[in-house]
Amino acid sequence: MTVSSEQELMLTQRANHLVRQARLAAAVFTQYSQEKVDKIVRAMTAAAIENAGKLALMAHQETRMGVTEDKILKNLVASEFLYHQIKDKRSVGITREFPDLNMVEVAEPMGVIFALAPVTNPTSTVIFKSICCAKTRNTVIFSAHLMAAESSNYAAKIMYEAALAAGAPKGFITWVDKSSRLRRTSELLMSHPEVDLIFATGGTQMVKAAYSSGKPALGVGPGNTPVYVHKSANVLSAAMDIIISKTFDNGTECPSEQTLVIDREVSEQLLNEFKRLGCHLCTQEEVEKVSDLIVDSRTGGINYKLVGQPANLIADQAGLNITTPIKMLLCPLNGELRHHKLAIEKLMPVLGYVVVDSVNEGINKALDINYAGGTGHTAGIFCEDDDVIERFSDAINAGRIIVNSPASIGGLGGVYNHLNTTLSFGCGTGGGNITTDNVGIKNLINFKRVPRRRNYVISFQTTKNIYINPGSIDHLKSLKCQSAFIITSRSASRRGHLAQVTERLPQDCHVDVFTDMGPEPDFATIQRVVASMRHSKPDTVIALGGGSVLDAAKIVRLFYDYPELKISEIAVNFLDFHHRMIEFPKDMKTQLVAIPTTSGTGSEVTPFAVLKDGHRKISLIDECLLPDVAIIDAHLTRSLPPDITGDTAFDALTHALEALVSTFSSDYTDGLALEALRLIFESLPETLKNPNNVLYRHKLHNAATLAGMAIGNASVGVNHALAHAFGARFDIAHGRANAAFLLSTIEYNAQIPSKFVSIPCYPLWVADRKYARAAQFIGLTVEPIEGEGEEARGLRLVHKLRQAVYDLAKLANQPLSVSELGIPVETYMAAIPELTEVAFSDMSIRTNPRYTLAPEVAQLFASAYAPRERP
Amino acid sequence: MAEGKKAKKLEKIRIMGELERGLDDVDKILATGKTDIELDFSACTFISVDGLEWLEEFLLRADSLKSAVTFVNVQTPVYKVFKVAHIDSLMRACGSPSQDAQGLVC
Repeated sequence: MTVSSEQELMLTQRANHLVRQARLAAAVFTQYSQEKVDKIVRAMTAAAIENAGKLALMAHQETRMGVTEDKILKNLVASEFLYHQIKDKRSVGITREFPDLNMVEVAEPMGVIFALAPVTNPTSTVIFKSICCAKTRNTVIFSAHLMAAESSNYAAKIMYEAALAAGAPKGFITWVDKSSRLRRTSELLMSHPEVDLIFATGGTQMVKAAYSSGKPALGVGPGNTPVYVHKSANVLSAAMDIIISKTFDNGTECPSEQTLVIDREVSEQLLNEFKRLGCHLCTQEEVEKVSDLIVDSRTGGINYKLVGQPANLIADQAGLNITTPIKMLLCPLNGELRHHKLAIEKLMPVLGYVVVDSVNEGINKALDINYAGGTGHTAGIFCEDDDVIERFSDAINAGRIIVNSPASIGGLGGVYNHLNTTLSFGCGTGGGNITTDNVGIKNLINFKRVPRRRNYVISFQTTKNIYINPGSIDHLKSLKCQSAFIITSRSASRRGHLAQVTERLPQDCHVDVFTDMGPEPDFATIQRVVASMRHSKPDTVIALGGGSVLDAAKIVRLFYDYPELKISEIAVNFLDFHHRMIEFPKDMKTQLVAIPTTSGTGSEVTPFAVLKDGHRKISLIDECLLPDVAIIDAHLTRSLPPDITGDTAFDALTHALEALVSTFSSDYTDGLALEALRLIFESLPETLKNPNNVLYRHKLHNAATLAGMAIGNASVGVNHALAHAFGARFDIAHGRANAAFLLSTIEYNAQIPSKFVSIPCYPLWVADRKYARAAQFIGLTVEPIEGEGEEARGLRLVHKLRQAVYDLAKLANQPLSVSELGIPVETYMAAIPELTEVAFSDMSIRTNPRYTLAPEVAQLFASAYAPRERP
Repeated sequence: MAEGKKAKKLEKIRIMGELERGLDDVDKILATGKTDIELDFSACTFISVDGLEWLEEFLLRADSLKSAVTFVNVQTPVYKVFKVAHIDSLMRACGSPSQDAQGLVC
């Protein structure tokens, strides 16, 4: 083995030993309670405070940088101020609760943290990171800067011993000993598989190495802080704050001011005040000398030997003839600022400045500095004008923009403001970091989010005023309206319904009529009606007719009341009503009275309106579409021909069946759906036998309205998706289109789904049981079979239900397959891909109890063609 | 137990309270080389770094004495310690799957 490989092995073993200690401690730390952790943190803080002076002195003596008194302050900020901020924060178990969201956050330690400590803050960084790690139950291995390793490691030792005495796990803090191989050991640790996170505060090279290790890393970027002194600033106070900040630890703090951007109006006063307080304003010639000294001509970077050195020493070395003590050197940066040698981070009491003539120029100059190596770090502004502060904050890319305070101590947080106390400044992506935070305990915790299942609130809404029973049309006599616009169809007019309405309206009510509403109107027809209404200015719209008329009237009223709406915008599909992107008007201005003359759609009580758009149907859904008044008068259905009676009844039957099994069904809609089913099975055969029997017409009429209320709140399912696509493509009446697929879809939905629907309000797939319940509710029974399970019995009931639907359809002359509608098989089969696409995007499918896959939609279409036998 | 290996007497030992350090009594039982050992953790409420190190070493010694050691009734907080510690022998004693290839290297 060569000397170098022996050394490498030794270093690897040393790294392994450090990590093993940290790993075991991390494991043991997972058991600690909040109380135990807080006791350790308290003890560590006390030890840091007690040793703040000693550690500061040691750091200064070892590094020859900065000011001992300021290093004491840093050590106290890193302990006392940090403690004050975190002492009451939870870092174990549940850390935050979000009652409104039904969610909590639970803390998980990150594990083993490899932490770098910089030469500029060798003890305060160790104090800060140790306390943060204890609070978050992480273990930490420190690697100090070679020039500061003794003081850093001593700080680590003090913190560890205090923690251990307070009950921390053995090995909770470890450190890499000072040696000429310190850097290599650090490299081994950075890439060690048992290190979970690198917490890098240090020189650019070390931070880059941390990010290159492939491990999660919290790094910091370089700074180059611009500070804008606006003309509104309190100039004298600004001068003192800037001196405090830039001379703090002789300028070693990376958030400290690097270049001032001063409004011309206050520049003279500010510079004079600097001078008065003991700063030296350099001449152009002196600026050149200072630049030559502090900037490395080869790299353009800072001369590290002058980092943290006093102003007089720098002035002497630069050859400036200054005999009195000075606080800092102020250098005018004349010429093109972006290319000025001193427009860089200067970690010493040397401060550049430029004078500007406007806010715009001031912010632009600040941006020049900000983007010259300090993006994402820190900026400052002295200003009393909130608008200017906002403009500055909006433009500058900095994780902390310090207002009217010293940037360096302000950036540390907790002293001049309420920023989190830190010794590690996240710079966001601008500085190559993941966060702009003042890095602290929250960045050292893996937060586990524990969301409870949402409480899914379902509301029940329907038409407010519903007048039922034969003769209820008389309610129109007391209708409050001055001008009514009746929308109806020619057939309703022909059957005398229009006259029945107009006769009953109040004498003084002006009446206009539109009688040309055909089946399934398009938007052009809607626009035509709205245009007519603009002349008569009605306060009431009366919809008299079947589902198409009622749906059309809802849309007419919407566009009459809100002409600025656009159909393409309000017809946008949605997955969940609660989250949909479109907004409908909240209040309608015009009264809508719905008088159905068929017993089918239930449109008089639903918030839906369907419109034909070429070969597809558009569904509008919103509460604002609900009519204000519904009149359910069976007399108006007495003259309905048997075929339309059957068609529309099968629409209502489909509504009841689909609402019953819908994913949005509830006890409220179930009751309505079941009763609607019972009434249809009872009254449709009787009505078909004796069309003039108003009692059964009344039951059928009620059934349609009850089913309408059910779908109005539970919606429909795949059958409607198929029927919408099919009906629009082949011009088939809606009820008949529904009937053609009904046996297939009941069978399909009663099978265990190939894919379940993911919606919080549907926690259990129960479609098969609900169909069985429907069968029982309409009086169907099955003979008990010994030993038969509930599921098998349920399936026999579903079978019975399908038989009953088949029998009813035959009685009502309804098609039970597509072939019965006279569509050639080739034409139909060729249309299936298009039908599938349309049906799959139909909103009806969203509430189906079985997640309907596109191939299944195609299969449902295909299987619906052949004539059916009784199930 | 490997086929053909002579069955040893099984000693069942319950670890009570906090496992802060090695347990001499248990070490002595193992040292006889005549028993397999079942450590019952149902009453173990805490495990320290020393406790962990002892368990790891105990398993090594058992292995060299060809005594089987199993951990039973490990409560979740202690089981989590074993998981986070990334010590494969502890997981094997629990009858759990080994850590992945990226496990403890030191």
